[in-house]
Amino acid sequence: MNKMLAVLKREYLAAVRKKMFIVMTILFPVLMSAAMLLPGLMVARGLGEKQVAVLDGTGQLQSAFTRTIAPELPDVKKSLRGGRRGELPQSIKVEYTAEAADSKPYLDRLNANRKASNRLDAVFVIPKDAIDGENAKMSFYSRSSTDVITQERLSSIANRAIQRLRLSARGIDPNTVDALTRSVPSEGIQLSRSGEQKRGGEFNLIFSILFAVLLLIPSFIYGLEIMRGIVQEKNDRVVEVLVSSMTPRQLLSGKILGVALVGLTQVTAWMLMLGLVGVFGGAVAASAGINLAQFLRAEVFVYFYLFFILAYLTYVSIYAIAGAVCNSEKEAQQLIAPVSMLMMLPWFVMVLIVTNPDSGLVIALSVAPVWGPLTMFVRTSVSEPPFLQILISIAVSIATILAFFWITAKIFRIGILSYGKRPTMSELWQWLKVA
Amino acid sequence: MSVVLAVRDVVKAFGAVRAVDGVSFSVRRGTITGLLGRNGAGKTTTIRMITGIFLPDSGVIEWVGGEGGGDARDRIGYLPEERGLYKQMKVVEHLQFLAEIKGRRGAGVVKSIDGWLDRFELAEKKNAKVEELSKGNQQKVQLIGTLLHDPELIILDEPQSGLDPVNMVLVRNLLRELKEEGRTILLSTHMMGEAERMADDIVLVHEGKVVLDGSLEQVRQSVGKNTLHIEYEGSGDFLRDLPDVTRASIVNNAAELSLSDGADPQKILQASIGRLRIRKFEVAAPSLEEIFIEKVGQETLEAAR
Repeated sequence: MNKMLAVLKREYLAAVRKKMFIVMTILFPVLMSAAMLLPGLMVARGLGEKQVAVLDGTGQLQSAFTRTIAPELPDVKKSLRGGRRGELPQSIKVEYTAEAADSKPYLDRLNANRKASNRLDAVFVIPKDAIDGENAKMSFYSRSSTDVITQERLSSIANRAIQRLRLSARGIDPNTVDALTRSVPSEGIQLSRSGEQKRGGEFNLIFSILFAVLLLIPSFIYGLEIMRGIVQEKNDRVVEVLVSSMTPRQLLSGKILGVALVGLTQVTAWMLMLGLVGVFGGAVAASAGINLAQFLRAEVFVYFYLFFILAYLTYVSIYAIAGAVCNSEKEAQQLIAPVSMLMMLPWFVMVLIVTNPDSGLVIALSVAPVWGPLTMFVRTSVSEPPFLQILISIAVSIATILAFFWITAKIFRIGILSYGKRPTMSELWQWLKVA
Repeated sequence: MSVVLAVRDVVKAFGAVRAVDGVSFSVRRGTITGLLGRNGAGKTTTIRMITGIFLPDSGVIEWVGGEGGGDARDRIGYLPEERGLYKQMKVVEHLQFLAEIKGRRGAGVVKSIDGWLDRFELAEKKNAKVEELSKGNQQKVQLIGTLLHDPELIILDEPQSGLDPVNMVLVRNLLRELKEEGRTILLSTHMMGEAERMADDIVLVHEGKVVLDGSLEQVRQSVGKNTLHIEYEGSGDFLRDLPDVTRASIVNNAAELSLSDGADPQKILQASIGRLRIRKFEVAAPSLEEIFIEKVGQETLEAAR
């Protein structure tokens, strides 16, 4: 026990004193918030303004295009309802021309010198027969055919104006048109087993993904770290003294628990930062009529830590095995890359888990080894899975971790001291039997 | 003299290769036992079984009459052939860690570390990182780590590989001091001369088997042959053709001749007089080097070169 603690202490101090730990602890929340705030900042700083010429063949749509089209500020609730997801807000500056006969001079300005003041980013051509023609088509010219967002917005503005014109032509007042075509927003309400109603369920998605990231990132970073550590110990030949002083199991437990403690330290630091942000965020959300507390329930944190530890120990054990059988970091990374893709499966089907948390496939994933902790955690945060399933998931995870421990300890005994070629699967099997 | 460690019929195979094939020997308390053999003879595998890194396929490794209980691993101080330390750790922290994994901690350890660092003239490097030390100093730190927990049995695998002559002498003197302090040492080496100088007992291993075993004196007597060391002026090539000479190594006016059983060295002297100007004529016991070659065979040796 004392030997295990000695290794644990050494691993923990070695990791926590590294620059990477400090950088990650501070930088990660900064990066995360930057990813959320940057789009807004870009607008505030006037980035992303597009110069567009609109050539209106009908000559009747000027009122729709006369003003600069302001960026749509990111609206969390709106974007989550499946609206314009991932759209970068940008303002569009329109140069409106009615009845342009010839688009050529405008198109030339598309490819004008980058510094030219009259350079255009796009040209939008509305044909003469746009209002009445059966087969009329508007054209959007730009240097990149992928500027779908600008095209989409111009087209929708034009269409709306055209629809209004068509309806007014039938004698309907434009204001009546607006009133009639107004859309009714919908709201998601989660009904818990106790009958409690929780509004603003969209936030669950954000929190699930945020927590999933918090759960995955340290696992992978410190998994890699433990793998590199083991490979390095082999290369530095430190390991022989270690395994001659304690059992492989003591060594492995000390290492993995030490690194687990590093992950916990880091996550707890992030949680504290999140808590600080939450105090301010909560006030903002409250003013929007949403009670954040109903999503950040105590049990979310309990489950987070529980499944974090389970996921972490599982992933880290897998990395430890890779470290034990490989002789160089490069080799180990090649070995682990496909494996980690497999381990991340729940992340790739996150949308499925969030939208169908109680479907058969998701239930299966949540009680499966390796994938269980992450899936089950997300399930507990977006719905209320039966307690029995949670228990099964935990039991399966613990069994998986113990099995990995056993395998790794066996492989350690021989693998850690064998230098040279990486063992084949059959050799590994031999090791398991021999050690 | 009491026996500390007994190794009996120990076998360890890796796949088809029997790295250690029925090795038996014992280590007497307060002596230096030399575990000799070429690289790949099975020395390191044998040691790894003694230190508990590998479990033997069959056979017994037994502690005899050890003092105190505790984990057998804690009673061994092991300096592996493949040496290494955590480069990022401070010397003093590293030594504390090495003591801790042997179950030692507290103020006594700190004091002991200071004492050893002084002895190896490393006191001012106490708070330096391991990577800042020269290679020789890193080896010294590791050697301290081997001795720090006051082990009953000290196992050193090729302790002098990679050392410069000054440090070689330092290690040699240290081993003598440790022996005088009554410690037991198992010294694995392929350098016969070194073993000859240090060891009380010899275990000669070849291809996983013990080919010779006993005290240095016994081993020499068991070979039971005379060796002549002759230094001379003149051309001594004819010496190898004399009767009774089974093997000759002639370099720079010096000859080392192995004689067949019962041969009389006097006859060689008589044959040389008149043809050589003899400066030195010595009848000596064979060196370990010679015994080794005798046992293992000249051919395998040359094949290895």
